[in-house]
Amino acid sequence: MSWTKADSKLMGAMCIRAHGLTKRYGGKTAVDGLSFSVQPGVITGFLGPNGAGKSTTLRMLLGLIRPTQGAITIGGRPIAELEHPARTIGALLDARAVHPQRTAYDHLLAFAHAAGLGKARVDKMLDLAGLSNAATSRPDQFSLGMYQRLGLATALLGDPDVLVLDEPLNGLDPEGIRWMRSLMRSLASKGRTILFSSHLMSEMEITADNLIVIGNGRLIADSSLAEFIKAHTSTVVLVRTAAREQLARALSDAGMRFKAIASDTLHVAGADPSCVGGMAAKEGITLDELTTIREPLEKAFLRLTRSVTQYEGQLA
Amino acid sequence: MNVLGFEWIKMRSISSPWLTALSAIFAGTTLSMLGVSDLIGVSPADLPDGWDPTAESLKGFLFAQLLVGMLGAHSITSEYATGLIGTSLAVVPARFRLLAAKTTVVCVMSLGTGIATTLLSFTAIQAMLAGAGLASAGIADPGVARALVGAMLYLTLVGLMGLAVGVLTRSTTASLATLIGVTLLVPAIAPGIPGAVGGWLQHYWPISSGQAAYRVVPVDAVVGPELGLGILAAVTAAVGTAAFVSFSVRDA
Repeated sequence: MSWTKADSKLMGAMCIRAHGLTKRYGGKTAVDGLSFSVQPGVITGFLGPNGAGKSTTLRMLLGLIRPTQGAITIGGRPIAELEHPARTIGALLDARAVHPQRTAYDHLLAFAHAAGLGKARVDKMLDLAGLSNAATSRPDQFSLGMYQRLGLATALLGDPDVLVLDEPLNGLDPEGIRWMRSLMRSLASKGRTILFSSHLMSEMEITADNLIVIGNGRLIADSSLAEFIKAHTSTVVLVRTAAREQLARALSDAGMRFKAIASDTLHVAGADPSCVGGMAAKEGITLDELTTIREPLEKAFLRLTRSVTQYEGQLA
Repeated sequence: MNVLGFEWIKMRSISSPWLTALSAIFAGTTLSMLGVSDLIGVSPADLPDGWDPTAESLKGFLFAQLLVGMLGAHSITSEYATGLIGTSLAVVPARFRLLAAKTTVVCVMSLGTGIATTLLSFTAIQAMLAGAGLASAGIADPGVARALVGAMLYLTLVGLMGLAVGVLTRSTTASLATLIGVTLLVPAIAPGIPGAVGGWLQHYWPISSGQAAYRVVPVDAVVGPELGLGILAAVTAAVGTAAFVSFSVRDA
């Protein structure tokens, strides 16, 4: 199969690429030489603790602030050089960034004009966001979830190739989170490029395919979620038995590292369950439980970002 | 892309610009009426020297100009206050184009407010003066039509100045403080400043000189109408240019 020019453009055009992206404010470096790329067709999570530089990076992507050095592009071009910005990239940075007295309909109608679209598109977006009944309401009566829905409707007006969401799950109720997640999923499956940020690993774990992790403005990890889990989380074997002391002796005779967790429970590091089970069988020990436990992803994330997390002291 | 439509819908879809415009029209007219009310009952012979019923009928501009200026400023500061500016710039990354469209919309709103305030105030005050048997002005009198057009343009320029101040300060409060200083304080204290500085301010401070645009009877302390409006227009253009440059280069 040969690639036509249109195909290659379709496939490669709408990647987000950061290259040596740096932003300094006075003496403070908010983003420090970031390089990464975000592919179409998958959901990419942009993860980092508060103050890591996520929002600064996204604001540079949207052309709101200028990089001190480096560049961040959409399909190879900075946003200012896009022919149809609203049809290429849609963004939800801050859901509350709407005028409290402008109705949802008028808000969307204004942005539809900016994108060169008409009223029909506004109605469709209201419908998609589940805001049809609130179209003539002012946002000052909205719940946070409704703000998020309006923000997403605004971002999707131009049916963009690239969708950028800053903390989109913040403040959503479980139903809203499910809605947002399935929307991202369906857009990704249509080949869109989805980049969403969060400071919570737990949100990434159930939503993202790929991860870009930053801390203190620097890249910490850029991989698929599966690779990230494999590379950064360790496993232990949990074994529960009434004959804890006997098993512990056998383990230490075999030179294995373990930790007593409870009066009948041990965590064995760096082993697999069959090895521990076999040893127990040889000793004639009855096991009540034998499981592999993976270290929570959140813990791996905290460990990775700890060395570079600037607000850690204040949080402790 | 329809950037003008974008800016126009943003302007027309909230009540504050309309309330501000209506306040300018009615408060301006009411203040003009209060200004001449103490002359009602005065004999025509006791009218002050250089009696200019046209300029007299637009005394309410003192307050109306502040509201028109704030109408301009608020069109952009409200976007900074809510954070909407980020969404606007992401959809229209061409900053010059975005601000040019906003300038057009503010220009139309200010001009409309200027026309309404001028005509209502002029008509009401001339009727009061005529009713009291004092010398009044008619639109066909020499120089009056020119003065009324000058008045409308004066308010339009103040609206555009307000937008420029809003772009530069990004803050409603700072814009209000700046506009009060520029339109009210400096013209009010200029006559009290001794020496050349005070005289220069009375002549050339853009607001003071701009107000010459709606005088029919010239006053010694002020420049002529064309030069006066020209000075205000030039200063507005200069501040506006600074606003465009700032808007284009500063981080949002």
